[in-house]
Amino acid sequence: MKSNNKVTGNRGEELAVVYLQKKHFLIIERNFRTRFGEIDIICRDGQTLVFVEVKTKIGHDFGEPEEMVNKSKIGKVKRMGEVYLQDKGINVSCRVDVVAIVLENNGSVERLEHYQAVY
Amino acid sequence: MLACIKSVACVGLQSFPVDVEVDVAEKGFPSFNIVGLPDKAVGEARERVRTALVNCGFAFPQKKITINLAPADLPKEGSAYDLPIAIGILVANGDIQTGESGIFFGELSLDSSLRHTKGALLLAIFAKKVGVRRIFVPIMSANEAAVVAGVEVYPVRGLKDLVEHLRGVKLLIPLKTIAIKDLIENATPDFDMEEIVGQEMAKRALTIAAAGGHNILMSGPPGSGKTMLSRALPSVMPTLTEEETMEVTRIYSSAGLMQPGEAIIRRRPFRSPHHSTSLAGLIGGGSHPVPGEVSLAHLGVLFLDEMAEFPRSVLEAMRQPMEDGKVEISRAAGRVTYPASFQLVAAVNPCPCGYLDHPTHECKCTIRDIEKYKRRISGPILDRIDLHINVPAVDAEKIIGTVSKGESSMVIRERVMKARGIQSRRFESTGIFCNAQMKNKQVKEFCKLDSGGVRILRLSMEKFDLSARAYFRVLKVARTIADLEGSEDIKSVHLAEALQYRERVF
Repeated sequence: MKSNNKVTGNRGEELAVVYLQKKHFLIIERNFRTRFGEIDIICRDGQTLVFVEVKTKIGHDFGEPEEMVNKSKIGKVKRMGEVYLQDKGINVSCRVDVVAIVLENNGSVERLEHYQAVY
Repeated sequence: MLACIKSVACVGLQSFPVDVEVDVAEKGFPSFNIVGLPDKAVGEARERVRTALVNCGFAFPQKKITINLAPADLPKEGSAYDLPIAIGILVANGDIQTGESGIFFGELSLDSSLRHTKGALLLAIFAKKVGVRRIFVPIMSANEAAVVAGVEVYPVRGLKDLVEHLRGVKLLIPLKTIAIKDLIENATPDFDMEEIVGQEMAKRALTIAAAGGHNILMSGPPGSGKTMLSRALPSVMPTLTEEETMEVTRIYSSAGLMQPGEAIIRRRPFRSPHHSTSLAGLIGGGSHPVPGEVSLAHLGVLFLDEMAEFPRSVLEAMRQPMEDGKVEISRAAGRVTYPASFQLVAAVNPCPCGYLDHPTHECKCTIRDIEKYKRRISGPILDRIDLHINVPAVDAEKIIGTVSKGESSMVIRERVMKARGIQSRRFESTGIFCNAQMKNKQVKEFCKLDSGGVRILRLSMEKFDLSARAYFRVLKVARTIADLEGSEDIKSVHLAEALQYRERVF
């Protein structure tokens, strides 16, 4: 089976945005690109600026999505967040969230987990 | 917001004030950093404090937390900073207000209760010195601190109790000052002197050693009772005085060897390290220097069984502490001085097979073997030992029990205590406790001889070829023998007895 990771990823991000909006997070930016990589979603939870990393997987082969987000990935998101703050010239309280999504083979959501303030 | 909590750092037996500065910043990514030269244990406080605060019912602030242990250039070690860090975070986060000027000290466990932490006594002494009125210490270590009068010691069971106290909801009650006097006990010996048959000469020498704190070397064939005699020594040793107790407890507190809940070291130390002990184990050492056996035996007995089996380098390292009563340990991390005024009790066999000069048993060693064996303990070490005695094999008559028993330890101890009483009156306000600790100047002052004594001493110096050090040591032993007899002056008999213990037996 030739998987199409980009499509899966985009679909996961769509799902995450819908989920976050339902939780009254204000979406500010999507796929913010820096030279370190890109931040999937930037949103606002009350006063706090939240940088969200979305990890989507189909099925359970090769482990859960949570296992795929390690320290260095979170560090990367944090660094990118700092670049974002510099760009905009703002300094507010921030955090990094992770949304882990597991999809069934037919594309429906098996589970969606939102981890706040992961370090 | 910024908070500043007071704590202390202990380096050796010395304490320095440490300000735990905690900043909880709203802006930026959440983080938790400790600066100010923390060692591994202090760095790991992050995980303990985080978990303890959560388990205590507080939300751990998702903010940028920076902790500075000032002064920044003094290396911090140990787990005692957990409590000040936790309190600092709560204050800086606005969870509690405090105008509390006390010192906070203690290791947190994950369930937010406080654990026994080493160094509580040093903290209390420090607080008294700098005039801090209140200290907050773990309940298991609080008794240690409570022996210091003039400081309010608050025993803290857990973080929750302390928070309630600081909020004024439920106040903690400071401990009453503990009177050391009631806690001091006699040592618990393995044997009583009366259980040992014969060996009257050895018992007499041990009595003198106990009374004056003198070093003693026993040489004898296997099975003659050297080990048994030394094990019985604690039963005749004088109990610690209050001053001595504080000195000993300070060392044990800093080394983390206090039993949880115990206030002081109640008994005179009796340390018997095995002959495989390393140099650092005996003298003290490590990258953060910790006290070794010589310091743990401070004001007590260091018993070296089979002394000739100790590596030469280890024995030679004891020369300086034996003379000065202290060890200075210099390491990259710092320089510390530990007191090490111990009484050396050593037991050796006369030769490798053990039967040299035995009345019935034949010695199988060659002359070379014996010479080699004797070289294992060097002259300088032997010169520092005041009493040398032979512990001969025991006669059959005495073992079978036709000879009446000797004196019991109780009786001997009473005599020893009386002699020590005379000494402590003599050395009042000199900082020493017994005759063996006298410096040459004090020997000259307290060990005056009559004309007969001077003559004996001059003769024996010529005959036995005594070194200058040996001369002073003979006088110290003579002083102790005189004290045992309650004699103000050192008479010729006392000096004569002291001289016979100089004869080399090894």
